[in-house]
Amino acid sequence: MTTTPPQETLSGARPRKRDARRRRKLRLGANISAIVFSVIWIFPVYWMINTAFKPRPEVMTPTPIFFPKHPTLSNFIDAFTQSNFLLNLRNSVIVVAGAVVLSIVLGLLASAALSRFRFRGRRTIMVTILAVQMLPGTALLIPTFLVFNSLNLLGTYIGLILAYVAVVLPFSIWVMRGFFIAIPYEIEEAAMMDGAGNWRILWSILFPLVIPGVIATSIFAFIAAWNDYLVAYTFMKDQTMYTLPVWLASFSNPITGTDFGGQMAGSVLFSLPVVVFFLLIQRKLVAGIAAGAVKG
Amino acid sequence: MSSPIPATSVAGEGVAAADTPGQLHAPRSPQGRKKKDFTPLWLLTPAGLVILAVTIVPIILLIFISFTDYNRRSLFTGEFAVVGLGQYASIFTDVAFWWSLVRTVFFATALVAGSIAIGMAVADLLTRLAPAMRYVVTVVLIFAWAVPNVASSLVWDWLFQPGFGVANWLLTQTHLFGDLTQVNWAQDPVLAYLAIWLLIVWQAVPFIALTLYASQTQVPSEYFEAARLDGASEWGIYWKVAIHFLKPTLLLVTILSVIWDFNVFNQIWLVSQGGPNDATATLGIWTYKTAFVGFHIGEGAAIAVVTTVLLMIFTAYYIRNLVRAGEDL
Repeated sequence: MTTTPPQETLSGARPRKRDARRRRKLRLGANISAIVFSVIWIFPVYWMINTAFKPRPEVMTPTPIFFPKHPTLSNFIDAFTQSNFLLNLRNSVIVVAGAVVLSIVLGLLASAALSRFRFRGRRTIMVTILAVQMLPGTALLIPTFLVFNSLNLLGTYIGLILAYVAVVLPFSIWVMRGFFIAIPYEIEEAAMMDGAGNWRILWSILFPLVIPGVIATSIFAFIAAWNDYLVAYTFMKDQTMYTLPVWLASFSNPITGTDFGGQMAGSVLFSLPVVVFFLLIQRKLVAGIAAGAVKG
Repeated sequence: MSSPIPATSVAGEGVAAADTPGQLHAPRSPQGRKKKDFTPLWLLTPAGLVILAVTIVPIILLIFISFTDYNRRSLFTGEFAVVGLGQYASIFTDVAFWWSLVRTVFFATALVAGSIAIGMAVADLLTRLAPAMRYVVTVVLIFAWAVPNVASSLVWDWLFQPGFGVANWLLTQTHLFGDLTQVNWAQDPVLAYLAIWLLIVWQAVPFIALTLYASQTQVPSEYFEAARLDGASEWGIYWKVAIHFLKPTLLLVTILSVIWDFNVFNQIWLVSQGGPNDATATLGIWTYKTAFVGFHIGEGAAIAVVTTVLLMIFTAYYIRNLVRAGEDL
């Protein structure tokens, strides 16, 4: 450290030097805080992965083992072979795919109408779509449960798909509408000049342009349906019809003791596609989540 | 085939739109569409019918059910009686309901305050980091955000497991609180709240931090430099300069957090099941227990209606804000 000048001076050099030093200190402090923050914030994820790779005797120890001494895949193999994992994975895939495809196809058409056309009632529809997304989960769950109970749809793929569409479709319309709005009107006008009709403009110009948006929206829709626990837990009471989140939670057993190694391996497998998708669509994430894709 | 779509124009403009009012309007076609154009009607009909069937009708039905005594037996027989405002009268005179409401309000407030405060700090931190470090923090945030809340709730259960939980062990090593290794967090009202609070804040911070960071980078750096030249402290610069630009985003993020935190279900259900003795039974948990554990479905519906109405205040505010921020509905 150099000695600091005793008197305050207003002329150039010294304050600037002091300023630079202050800034360097600030920057160092910021980077150190960032390291501390990162270690704390990543720790739960690290602990999930760490536990997943531990052999059974290293999981349940009074003094935690911070790095597996004998890393093993046995927890993952157990997950695949012993329980209903593959069956429940298949259920998840069927239900999520059904909900995403239905929501995206219907949502694409509706969002085109709500972004490229002006008509009476449009505002009301948009407000309804927004408001519906903010409903508490149980508000939709109760009446849906009763209707599906009388239609014998509880515990079926179709029932769960429809319950997910109720959440995912309004949100998909809202998100895709944003992508449509981003397309400049001039493109459409040029096509109109060339005598193209509404349907032709939609099909040959707007839909191709909005494909990246459709992909991003599908990912959001996938995450929303894949992560659902509440609806599946309430509707699917037969173990063979569980989806993955319900399967995962059913590991917990307060009586015989939970197999934490297996549960963490399952958590890793279940989280993996979502984490990959999050990293893929990083840039669009903030906007998409604001629209309600993944709720806290 | 694709014109790159600027990040700000992606749907939930909500957040971004606040910064750039006007830009996101769909430009009106000069001549406007011709009258009697039924194209939008055809485009809307399929989605409209589905939304009507799976969302609008159920909501109307929910209101109807809240006026009945629908219960476990009704599920098999289909018989129930209309009791008018009976369910509402009984929940409003039930002390447990008011406690649940109080718990929900306090807990949601604590969650929003915690996640917004930490989110603001992290967003500001991000602007001060070397690029490599910023990348590390961003990836860490995305990981914490991406883990599905069912998985993270189970991870929490494991972190705080009596006897074997690493959190218990680490806290014991600090020698600040005595021996915590055998503590059962889920069985103690205060500790259960603390653990669930940590879990939800842990997952909420990434969205808030990254959103605020995005709008903080939009602030022209001259403002900060000018303030620094005037000798303002970093703390003063943040609260006098940055906050001015962050306000609209901050407001939207806060409203969204209020709505989400008011509705939290999974994390509480999976960590404490609303226990011990309903200590963590917020309105969401209480509704679920009433409707799907006790199968007092009529009463559960009434609680859900009340919750929805309470939330509508925030939802209406959120929507009005979007409209004001230039969102072209």
